[in-house]
Amino acid sequence: MKRKDVEQFDKINGQLEGIYEEITSMSKKAPNDGVNKFKLRLVNKVLEEANSLLDNKHKPFDDFTIFDEDTLPSNSDVAFILAQYLNCMENLRAENIRQEDYSVQWYWIIDGKTSKEKTAPPKKLNRR
Amino acid sequence: MALVRPRLNDFYDLPFSQEQVSFAIPLLDEDLPLYVDPFLLWKSPSQQDNSLHAQIINSFNHLGILFLKDRQDEAINLLIELSECNEVGLGNSMTRKGLKIGQKTAVEILSLFQNIPQVQRSGFTHFEEVQLLIEGVAQDRISDIACNLLMSFLIDYTIDECKTWSIPTPKSHVNTYNCKSNQFETEDVDLPVNPETNRPVVLVPKRWLRFVTWINYSDFQEHYFAKHADADRFRDRVAILNYNRNNYDMVQSYVAARESARKDCSNDPLFRPIPIISMKRKTQALTTLKTGKTDNADKEYERLIAPILASAMYPDLDFAATQSRTISNVLIRDLIFYNNRACDITFDFHKLYESRQIVMEMKNVAVLNNDHIDQLNRYIKEEFGRFGVILTRNPPPKAVYKNTIDLWSGQRRCILILTDEDIKLMGQLYESKQRLPIEVLKKKYIEFSRDCPG
Repeated sequence: MKRKDVEQFDKINGQLEGIYEEITSMSKKAPNDGVNKFKLRLVNKVLEEANSLLDNKHKPFDDFTIFDEDTLPSNSDVAFILAQYLNCMENLRAENIRQEDYSVQWYWIIDGKTSKEKTAPPKKLNRR
Repeated sequence: MALVRPRLNDFYDLPFSQEQVSFAIPLLDEDLPLYVDPFLLWKSPSQQDNSLHAQIINSFNHLGILFLKDRQDEAINLLIELSECNEVGLGNSMTRKGLKIGQKTAVEILSLFQNIPQVQRSGFTHFEEVQLLIEGVAQDRISDIACNLLMSFLIDYTIDECKTWSIPTPKSHVNTYNCKSNQFETEDVDLPVNPETNRPVVLVPKRWLRFVTWINYSDFQEHYFAKHADADRFRDRVAILNYNRNNYDMVQSYVAARESARKDCSNDPLFRPIPIISMKRKTQALTTLKTGKTDNADKEYERLIAPILASAMYPDLDFAATQSRTISNVLIRDLIFYNNRACDITFDFHKLYESRQIVMEMKNVAVLNNDHIDQLNRYIKEEFGRFGVILTRNPPPKAVYKNTIDLWSGQRRCILILTDEDIKLMGQLYESKQRLPIEVLKKKYIEFSRDCPG
């Protein structure tokens, strides 16, 4: 990944997490209620940016890119898709970070080399 | 193509909804069950409305003056002419043509100026009081008299609104009451006409309309007279009216009480959507309702679905009527909506399927079959363009759904099927207001379109 990709990743991932939190809380109260057009447009904008970052290997679904407003996606539909995208973003990140020898800190790999950009450990590693 | 309960704009194919316009859209075949309530003009914060109220009162009181000045015949004839206003189309008539009051009633009304000292001295402030004093005068008369006394304003208002909404206005002869000369005069004015009768139509602002006038006999008898007079002694209407004429201060006190409560007086909309709690109850009741006709389930289904859909579709679709028809000894009930083309999907229904009114057939069946589809198809063919909706309980079998696709492929007819799940979603959207309930219909149409070939 290039430096600008890492910067974009942090931005998009942050947005995805924020939206996911909001939608999940709505989904708990009213899972089948429709998401309003304003929110849906913003969700789609973030998904478009995520799609540009995730290559075919990392995208969650081949045949899904953004939500169609006219199909009235529900809170639970959007929460489901966002969860999948967050997992895929994490997979992308896990493949592009490294720990230096004897260090607990993880760093981004930028242009093939370990950079000085710090990041969190891979989420899957924490579960071991 | 015959329309159900056609309105003026339906005839001219003008796509505006009741919500969008400031006037009550008149029906062509019947009166609107609403009345001009002069009290709304009196209490209005608009100085224009207040002036118009003063004009009504001055003109009405002038009739009393004529009556007291031995110009009784003139006063009687004027009042009789004023008592019916066919141009506005408000009231109970199913034919848009009413009857004027008779000589006897006109004399009784005008005699109030002679027999009640307070009225003789100062006239009326609210001439709706006449309902509490004379038999045979109710809100329809009050409304018609008010409209006739305001005809000049209503004509100007109608001309302005017709220009705004592109309603054609050929020349018409109209008898209007001139408040300066206090005489009727014939004028040639540009007004819309009822295409079936060629009679001129005058539009009335929605803000002046109520189902029942604020000052009315029923409210007086039930809530005021019963508490302030010997209601046991004066039981019937005639006795109470007599009492009122002899004890006018009772009427004055009642009117004062109504004036104090004016904050609660507001116009009645032509259609009021059901409250959210009612929507929730009805959609909930739908989920537990049986299919078929057992225990009158079909009637209960119709009773639930009609207000759900009428409210959910409002204001994108104005509800026209519930309709019954019999096909092969089977009673079929439909909901008919005016297609105002208020949103993109209803615009498409009109453009692609010539649908000026949308028919939704109610089918409280467990399983839809091809006969049901064919039945609706034959019906819409005659009357409603090439678009219709079936409201039923469960998703249709694949073969039945395929039949609807084949109808589109062969005849370019679109029959959508809405189930309990779709109605439930409409109810949820109605409550949450995150999306419009009509978007459920749009969603079904898009899914249907995607399944159609080509």
